Amino acid sequence: MKENELNIHKQIDAYVKGQLSEAEITALWVEFAKNPELLDDLELEVSIKELIEKEASGVAASSSTKTFQLPKWTWHAAAAAVLLLVAFIQLFQIDSATEMDQFLATNISPDQIETGDGVRAKEMVVDTADSLLNLGFSALISGNTNQALSLYNEVIENFDVEPYGSKAFTNKGIVLYNKGDYSGSILAFDNALERVEESRMIKEKAHWYKGNALVNIGEFEQARLAVFEAYTLDGVFRKPAFLLLQKLNYDLGYVDYEDFESQRGN
Amino acid sequence: MDYSRFVYAVQNNDKEELATLTSVISAVLIKFLKVRLGATHQDAEDSAQNTLMLVFEKIKEDKLNSPDSIIYYLFTTAKHDYLKVQAKIKEPTFDEAPDSHSEEGDQLSSLLNEERMTILKACLNSLKPDLKSYISYWFHNPGDETSVVADHFGISVSNAWTKKHRILKMLKECCEKKLAF
Repeated sequence: MKENELNIHKQIDAYVKGQLSEAEITALWVEFAKNPELLDDLELEVSIKELIEKEASGVAASSSTKTFQLPKWTWHAAAAAVLLLVAFIQLFQIDSATEMDQFLATNISPDQIETGDGVRAKEMVVDTADSLLNLGFSALISGNTNQALSLYNEVIENFDVEPYGSKAFTNKGIVLYNKGDYSGSILAFDNALERVEESRMIKEKAHWYKGNALVNIGEFEQARLAVFEAYTLDGVFRKPAFLLLQKLNYDLGYVDYEDFESQRGN
Repeated sequence: MDYSRFVYAVQNNDKEELATLTSVISAVLIKFLKVRLGATHQDAEDSAQNTLMLVFEKIKEDKLNSPDSIIYYLFTTAKHDYLKVQAKIKEPTFDEAPDSHSEEGDQLSSLLNEERMTILKACLNSLKPDLKSYISYWFHNPGDETSVVADHFGISVSNAWTKKHRILKMLKECCEKKLAF
């Protein structure tokens, strides 16, 4: 077996065993797209694992099928204990408040990264910006976040024209968000929004993740506006944006959600 | 999968070549949506079809041509199309569990196929006892490093991988043979 082939099979093995990170899974699916026959190998391994687990649980069940009869009074005692427990829980139960964290993106996955779209252009400058964006994506899924960041900065410094400027700033915002630098990521998303011309997807991403970053630094009012923008774009972030918006409205005291638009200027 | 052939076929409207290549790409996208997003087969099929139509347009407009960009575009578009359709179908309410936004683990079990499982079971049972015991140990102890498996069977780590690969190959061939009849 060639080394590259072996490495991919090691990745498939780790995937089946649930040992791959999100970035590694993304990279593995790129390999599947390049070589769809590998999906047959994945399917085979998943099936073998399932059969072996079933077989093992069958053996375990059949080897432990001794039954013991409990005396009748045990069931009455158990029922009484359950009733007592229910009464106790109802008496002392405290409603747990919904935490804001539950509505936030904890980590932005690499598939949100913008890459070059391979535009055939006459100008050399466009090809280079495309390549830098693609190199940034490769660096990121290989775990080299600093290298990815410097590649996106290079695009910003040298090729700040559309669509490259907004793509690079969006990616920079994502990397900084994952590093926990929320103020830096807000700035990057604002820059992306200032530049973006045609891409609705970039607008949506920038508003949504900017809103998340603002919540993370406690700027709830501003976050509410950013999340609302993401919600009104009516795309893939509509549902999480709706939930976060409701939570923000609730916490900030804007209970009438329908009236939200009229409150934006207040 | 040669994506430059795909680009060429779209640009030249080579229907025969397109029929072959789109069925391969579509199968990958369907599995991607089922495994990664837990889509049903029907929903995955619909999103894969929408995605391919969008990719055709992009290629025809000369906006997409490099293989890596196409792969990225295929996965991203398929994911967005699927999520968008799902979001439209089910409007959330505040009472809904907030973890509905949290990412669920990959649904690898959606790759399972009952007919093929029956065949695979027969193939597994036809393995020599030492090979069956090896592959059973491998999958029954997923937390073990390969070095632990290698130690257990008294072989080197590299031989442990080779042996596993050889058994999988035997099982694959056995299944293909049985499916052919």
